[in-house]
Amino acid sequence: MFKVLKKLAGKKRNKRPVGSEDTLASQASTKDQSISYQIEDNIKQVKKIFHYPDNKDIKLRECKIGASEKRVAIFFISTITDVRTIEDSAIGPILKNKHPDATLKEIIATQNITHLSTMRDIVQNMNTGNAVIFIEGETSAYAFECANFQGRSVEKAENEVLIKGPKEAFTEKVVVNLSLIRKRIKNEDLMAESVTISTRSKNEVFILYIRNLANEKLVDNIKNRLKNLDVDAIQNLSLLEQYVEERPFSMFPSVLYSERPDRATSFLEDGHIILLMDNSPDSLIMPATFWSFFHTSDDHYLRFIFGNFARFIRAGAMFITIFISAIYIAVTTYHSEMIPADLLLAIAGSREKVPFPVFFEILLMEIAFELIREAGLRVPNPMGPTIGIVGALILGQAAVEANIISPIVIIVVALSGLTSFTISDVSLNFALRIIRFIFIFSAGLFGIFGMTSFFVMGIFYLTSLKSFGVPFLAPMSPHYVASGDTIFRRVLKNENLRPGYLKPKDMKKKSDEAVK
Amino acid sequence: MKQNNLIKLIFLIPFILILTGCWDLKGLDRQVFVIGIGLDVSDEKGKIDITYLIANPEVGTSFAGGGTEEDTVMTVTMRSPDFLSLRHSVNAAVAREISYDLLKVIVVSEELAKDEEFIRFLYSAEKDREIKRNTYLIVTKEKAAEFLSKNDPKFLTRPHKFYENMIQRGIEVGFIPNSELHHFFRVTEEDANLFLATYATTNIRQKEDEYRINEMDALAGDVRIEGETNSANFLGAAVFLEGMMIGTLTGVENRIVMLLHDASSITDILAPIPDPFHEDYELTVRIRKQHNTSVEMNVHDMPSKIHVTLPLTVDVLTDPSMENPVDNKKKVEKLRSTMEEFMETKIMALVEKSQKEFKAEPFGWSLYARKEFKTLKDYMEFDWMRTYPEMKIDVDVEIRFGQFGRQPKTPSYKGIRD
Amino acid sequence: MKQNEGKIGIRDYMAIILLTLGSKISDDTPTLLYKTAKNSAWISMLGIALLSLIPILFLLKVFSVHRNKNLHEINVHLFGKVMGNLISMGVLLLGFSSFVLDTSVYVDIIGSMYFTRTPTLALYILMLVVCGYGAKRGIESIGSAAWLTLFYLKATLFLALIFAFTKGNLKFIFPLWGPGTLEIAKTTGSKLSIFADFYYLGIIAPLVSSFKEFRKGTLWAFAIVVVEITAALIIFVILFDFTSIEVISYPFHETILYLSIGFLSNVESMFLPFWLVAAFIRFSFYLYLVVTLFGGIFKIKEFEYLVPVFIVIVLFLGIMPKNLTYTLPYLREMILGILSPLFFILPILMWGMAKLRGDFKREAEQSH
Repeated sequence: MFKVLKKLAGKKRNKRPVGSEDTLASQASTKDQSISYQIEDNIKQVKKIFHYPDNKDIKLRECKIGASEKRVAIFFISTITDVRTIEDSAIGPILKNKHPDATLKEIIATQNITHLSTMRDIVQNMNTGNAVIFIEGETSAYAFECANFQGRSVEKAENEVLIKGPKEAFTEKVVVNLSLIRKRIKNEDLMAESVTISTRSKNEVFILYIRNLANEKLVDNIKNRLKNLDVDAIQNLSLLEQYVEERPFSMFPSVLYSERPDRATSFLEDGHIILLMDNSPDSLIMPATFWSFFHTSDDHYLRFIFGNFARFIRAGAMFITIFISAIYIAVTTYHSEMIPADLLLAIAGSREKVPFPVFFEILLMEIAFELIREAGLRVPNPMGPTIGIVGALILGQAAVEANIISPIVIIVVALSGLTSFTISDVSLNFALRIIRFIFIFSAGLFGIFGMTSFFVMGIFYLTSLKSFGVPFLAPMSPHYVASGDTIFRRVLKNENLRPGYLKPKDMKKKSDEAVK
Repeated sequence: MKQNNLIKLIFLIPFILILTGCWDLKGLDRQVFVIGIGLDVSDEKGKIDITYLIANPEVGTSFAGGGTEEDTVMTVTMRSPDFLSLRHSVNAAVAREISYDLLKVIVVSEELAKDEEFIRFLYSAEKDREIKRNTYLIVTKEKAAEFLSKNDPKFLTRPHKFYENMIQRGIEVGFIPNSELHHFFRVTEEDANLFLATYATTNIRQKEDEYRINEMDALAGDVRIEGETNSANFLGAAVFLEGMMIGTLTGVENRIVMLLHDASSITDILAPIPDPFHEDYELTVRIRKQHNTSVEMNVHDMPSKIHVTLPLTVDVLTDPSMENPVDNKKKVEKLRSTMEEFMETKIMALVEKSQKEFKAEPFGWSLYARKEFKTLKDYMEFDWMRTYPEMKIDVDVEIRFGQFGRQPKTPSYKGIRD
Repeated sequence: MKQNEGKIGIRDYMAIILLTLGSKISDDTPTLLYKTAKNSAWISMLGIALLSLIPILFLLKVFSVHRNKNLHEINVHLFGKVMGNLISMGVLLLGFSSFVLDTSVYVDIIGSMYFTRTPTLALYILMLVVCGYGAKRGIESIGSAAWLTLFYLKATLFLALIFAFTKGNLKFIFPLWGPGTLEIAKTTGSKLSIFADFYYLGIIAPLVSSFKEFRKGTLWAFAIVVVEITAALIIFVILFDFTSIEVISYPFHETILYLSIGFLSNVESMFLPFWLVAAFIRFSFYLYLVVTLFGGIFKIKEFEYLVPVFIVIVLFLGIMPKNLTYTLPYLREMILGILSPLFFILPILMWGMAKLRGDFKREAEQSH
């Protein structure tokens, strides 16, 4: 607290530097060596770098190429490689080799084999699950791919649940994710470029886009941003999102986060760009507009009328969840003439017995509801239903009977809480919940005037947000040529234009009857 | 840069002003709701006795905490120059803030309505923001305070519902006029028409000889209604000219006005009409007005002439004489002509009454006259009020028959009594 | 990445005009018309519309030859530095004072109709903070906000007018010529500046994505606004009749106070938020115009930072009048009276100057 005050007063803080050594630099210097002729030196070097035999999963297999007498040393990290492949395709053929002059390339039967010339490359290859082979008398090493990281298998999506449509979700292995996407877009122009972003953990990010659709400037922009990151470790996409996003302090996110491959693919086909990473069972989609958070894939998989009905309910639910508590407070305290006479007398009658003012009651119940919600996330499964019953009983019934809360407040708060569940996107969900509280405060202070003021400020703010150059409420607000899919969607046959705000190269999705 | 943050902090201070606010905050449990205001003459000049009819919010609230045995309403009367300052004066006896949000009726005693100064008090209603222009005005025979306290509606636990329902139903069947304050102000300022206000009372006559033939041809309180029903009658109209009450109209006369006036919302009424085939009995008909009254006016002659045509559709619903007029064309013609004559007589009687006694009309014909003039000045020069009593008016009722009840024919009387 | 750097499209532009001019029916502009023209205010409104067409067309013609200049720059270009700056200063002063008066009127409406006990200072501060925030965000923000909310605002307005129409009596509109043709003509002449907003639109002319859209948008919005205001004027008379309409200060709010829809007996608080949103957008836009013009005259590039300063000035000026109910209409009439002839003459002068300087010929040469 005092730090904040001091900062505001403009006093300089006496900054003591935090003592640290730059171990990364020292680690880098040990790798700055080249490979020597002597295989013994190489083996010793690698053992030192990897702290063998303290590191139990670094394995070394020394042997001689059959019929040649050259010494060969194979290094690999057993926990992340497919040991069978190494045994069958590398060690086996080496030992069984009959030709004395065969080069390694001709002996080994793996899918690929690359030349490595520095120690740095060797270390990097071993870390990513490849096996490295040293041959006596050569100043380069060979590596082949046999990576096999452990991970979850493809399971059902948990957070974005659909009635109609595919139920696969991304997993933590990026190769699986890539395969799920390539399954859906079998096009040679689907680019899967990769950038290494962190300096210590060397996490790799895959950038996916369709080359003849996406705007090149957008792609370059994103690639540059990723390359300019200078951090030790970025474990997964959730962390990457916070490094890459445009407005860390804003309520609304600027990139979309989805765990379903079909959703990611539909964005790819529109010209968006996707980021995939190991350890992240989801994808980052950029640029994101408000509508990407609002829509679900369900709307397009259902038929026209059903999809629009679902949209309509979701839009209504969004308004209800933000406004209903605030409207209740505003109307009962500032604008009581609006309520029909019977209801007004009923509310007035029930308020006589209750000790707290309306504002405080609603705040209390909303906070209680949020607590139940958070608790419900962490509750271990066997106790789940019990908590629900206990929560409902205690907070609902008993509070009313003890005359702490009036029954109408329970209805209002329950409605606002339930309707917030219709928004499936996590970020938007949180944003709406926080906004609801701000509206409650503004309604308590100034009634409908306060609510409207805050609403208008919110609209001004939303319309000025941009995500990677795309206005947040496009294509509705600055008008762009697009497929007319904002609050309501059109019949699938008529949605035949790509979003204009992405400036894709090819605007039309269908060739004939493409009308604007 | 050092000063920047401090300055930003100083800028935020004015917002604390707003936070201390909530000036307009009114907790619902800190208010009481006034359903009706009663105005009576008081001994002092410049002041009137005002009665508040306050609703009890707890009655009728089905609440888990249990019901109460309290009264549904509370009345409080005080003397005051207008009903704005009374809102605070009455807090000597009432525990909470007075709110006019549920105000439905303003009840005026006949005595006060006949006073010339009445209009000064009523205009303060236009200035108060909380009194809506769609509040109804009721004139009562006795004192307003008496009316409000003696009125004890059965079946309806919430008093505002009683007034709402009674007045709305009364307007629908045509026995009382639509007397919103909105119309009062307009008519009074336009200075060309009569304003009709609902007439009500709780003073019901009990004497036998006051029972009339045509029951509704009476004022509130003059009709003998027995049984354990509501203690108040709403029937007939009080006639206001230039903001002062000058007379009354009975229920039937009010119905005639409602039928003739285009802006009234009356659509169908059930009424008894003397049976042409049998002297002692009356037919019940449903009168529906499906087209507008057509008024032809000639204002340039002296005296001006008005010709009114009232098209009605009539369903004959009963046939006490059991004469079966349906079959016989001549009988139908006789029915029609008798009905037209009957109605025209009644209407002309009312028109004459308005010309001789009231010297103004409640039918809204001045609006038709306005069409004939180009500018307001011409219209003002014509002075509808002055020229109206001299005008030659004739009314034509055109009846078209609709249905004849669920079963058009009944067996003939003679046939049964055979 | 941006499609139109700081520019707004035709939809946003038309939405802004519809909201700023359309919300004139909800403040005291109808009262000013009703005072002199009584129940024929709608006829005088049609007259104003016809007369205003002349300066607007001239203005559009001048803008068609100077496509990338805004109003101030054209003034300087046509009239020379000194005269041009003087004219712009005058226009700025008039615009600023009518802005202060308008905000004062709106705060008065909110204070007297809806929030009777709150001090006007608090209401004023809140309103100005919101408008200032909007103006700071820029014209694209304001335009987008206008387009987003346009439909809902107009729908509720339409609803209110329809209900008022059903509760009123069409015959109240007669006699047709009201107080006489002379009075109507006088009203038309003195209240011409109701459409002076169109002159001020010139300040953002270069910000609209293309001149064709500017012209199309202006003319279409003009037509729609004229229809809207005339219909509203007729409907108010139908509801209230010429006797009451002169004494009611804010007819729109009286109308929604009177309405009752079904079981809801008092619906004015339902129409309040929509009207407030229109008001906020209108004032953000005015503030943006004033600040842009100021920045143009005094050659300030980053004029967005002027917004907080202007807000404070407006605040202090707005709460100054001691007796709001009397001084406000009086001042409004005065300003409108001054602005009317200016609005009519200036564009004609500008066109005349442009013709003299041969700008039109140059344009014709260029297009060949």
